Amino acid sequence: MKKLLLKYSPEKAGEPILAGVIKETGVLVNILYADISAKGGEILVAIDAPEQDLSKVIESLKRKGVEVEEMRRKLNLDRESCMDCGACVSLCPTRALHLTADYSLQLDEDKCVYCELCISACPVRALKVSKFEAIS
Amino acid sequence: MGKSIAEINERIRKGDAVVLTAEEMVEFVREKGVAQAAKEVDVVTTGTFGPMCSSGAFLNFGHADPPIKLGGGEIYLNDVPAYAGLAAVDTYIGATSMSRSRGMEYGGGHVIEDLVRGKEIELRGLAYGTDCYPRKEIETTITIHDINQAVLYNPRNAYQRYNAATNSRDETIYTYMGTLLPNFGNVTFCGAGVLSPLGKDPNYRTIGIGTRIFLGGAQGYIVWEGTQHNPKEGLGTIAVVGDLKQMSARYLRGCTIHKYGTSLYVGLGIPIPILDEEIARTTALDESQIKTKIIDYGVPRRDRPVVREVTYAELRSGKVEIAGKEVPTSSLSSFKVSREIAETLKRWIEKGEFFLSEPLQNLPVDRIFKPMRQIAPTPLVKEIMTKEVITAKPDCLITEAAKILAEKNVDHLPIVDEHNRLVGIVTSWDIATSVGTGKKKLSEIMTRKVITAYEDEPVDTVARRLEAHRISGMPVVNERGELRGIVTTDDLAKLWGKRR
Repeated sequence: MKKLLLKYSPEKAGEPILAGVIKETGVLVNILYADISAKGGEILVAIDAPEQDLSKVIESLKRKGVEVEEMRRKLNLDRESCMDCGACVSLCPTRALHLTADYSLQLDEDKCVYCELCISACPVRALKVSKFEAIS
Repeated sequence: MGKSIAEINERIRKGDAVVLTAEEMVEFVREKGVAQAAKEVDVVTTGTFGPMCSSGAFLNFGHADPPIKLGGGEIYLNDVPAYAGLAAVDTYIGATSMSRSRGMEYGGGHVIEDLVRGKEIELRGLAYGTDCYPRKEIETTITIHDINQAVLYNPRNAYQRYNAATNSRDETIYTYMGTLLPNFGNVTFCGAGVLSPLGKDPNYRTIGIGTRIFLGGAQGYIVWEGTQHNPKEGLGTIAVVGDLKQMSARYLRGCTIHKYGTSLYVGLGIPIPILDEEIARTTALDESQIKTKIIDYGVPRRDRPVVREVTYAELRSGKVEIAGKEVPTSSLSSFKVSREIAETLKRWIEKGEFFLSEPLQNLPVDRIFKPMRQIAPTPLVKEIMTKEVITAKPDCLITEAAKILAEKNVDHLPIVDEHNRLVGIVTSWDIATSVGTGKKKLSEIMTRKVITAYEDEPVDTVARRLEAHRISGMPVVNERGELRGIVTTDDLAKLWGKRR
């Protein structure tokens, strides 16, 4: 699952570009959020498709004058605040959060699927998830 | 041939005392045996760091000019209500009191942590005014340094062990044991196991009133048995006191248990003098010997069913087995910080900064924990439900059902099969919205996943379920899924009317 942020210039904001791309490539695009105004706009989409189809979508978008950025979220563990209780551990579906041999909480962000169960379960709010950010 | 506490203190003074943490004691006894341990080891230190709701602090603000009598009025600290039933400028801020503006995100536990951190706290007070205390309102900020006394006084801390929790329901529930996933999706537990202070002297031979302890990073004292002290069931507790001004936020943390409330993580450790072999033995209990029960919190009654017995070793391993399935476990108390407390206490004693105290009086060992006396019995669903239910079969026509609902003046139409087993429900709303859709039979519009109640459930739990699902009624079924009645908000309203 890749997440893309599509940036539109004001001139392009009125055109049905994404619909065109979907028709052209036949790839299913899930729109997560959109904000289009006179100043241009952006659409956040999720695409669960093979690499080949994904690049077709990206190429088509760029050809039509849309800027494309791959996005990612970030789960942050505030080590200063964390008490290593482990309340989050049994809720984590992928073991991204786990205790080490010396009972410290560790986060393997690669494994995180952003289910967000841990966020509210943390008694001291040491876990925070960001909105989507560009991969730099 | 035992040692005395006076002898141990003399060795501490000379710097000769042999001090082990409870974890080290387990290893020592495994290698050298109980008899040798009783001879060689002087003190075993313990530690625990977990959410302890019966915690709070007494504060004295000093007098304003002109003075105000907050006792009998209202007191808010960072908008969290504090107790105003003491003298003019005394209060008690309890861990579970919640902010009027921020709710569960900030509570008494957080106020205590912020005080310890030296942060400014907004004090707002309202009073009725007297000849000697004319002032009716005050708004100011205080810090822990400005106030006269700040005393942590916790009526119930350090449970000897604690029940572990799981959830049999098909929905996630939010409890004081944390978030419990549906269908036995996880198990949460509490307590420090091998390091548990009261678990290491379960016969209360050395722990009593006047015992000096580690509390919140400073030296504190046991002042009484804790509330709900239940040593016969292995569920003893203690009441503790200490100077908040000397404590550290490393060992006192305000917390929010999601959709449950606020609390305070308290760090507490007890030094146990190894007076004889019996105490050497109990301090060396390892986690495979410390048992607790996994309880089904999916059943919202006082007596929740026991799913199975379990050892702390199993809970600590990260997974336990329930009905053939591997279920992940989480601790709510921090083992890492518990260990740090036991090690800190050990260091204090080794350096001669901390001496053991002789209990002035032992804690009772024969207490039992009684349930609340309730003078009115809790009404059950079967007492308020409508037993003669209008029902229909799945192949009944929608137009027919509309007529029935109108004639009988009801809103809910449970759908049953030929054996009177519930298969769905149709409401007057479902029928209204089906107009013009071309659908004909109830089976096309009925809700198949029906929220139901049992006859023997207390009315309060059913009221909560109606509210949670935003529905106005639910069919009552037996274990076989056969329809026994229906309970609606109207039935609850009638009951409420009678109660008044």
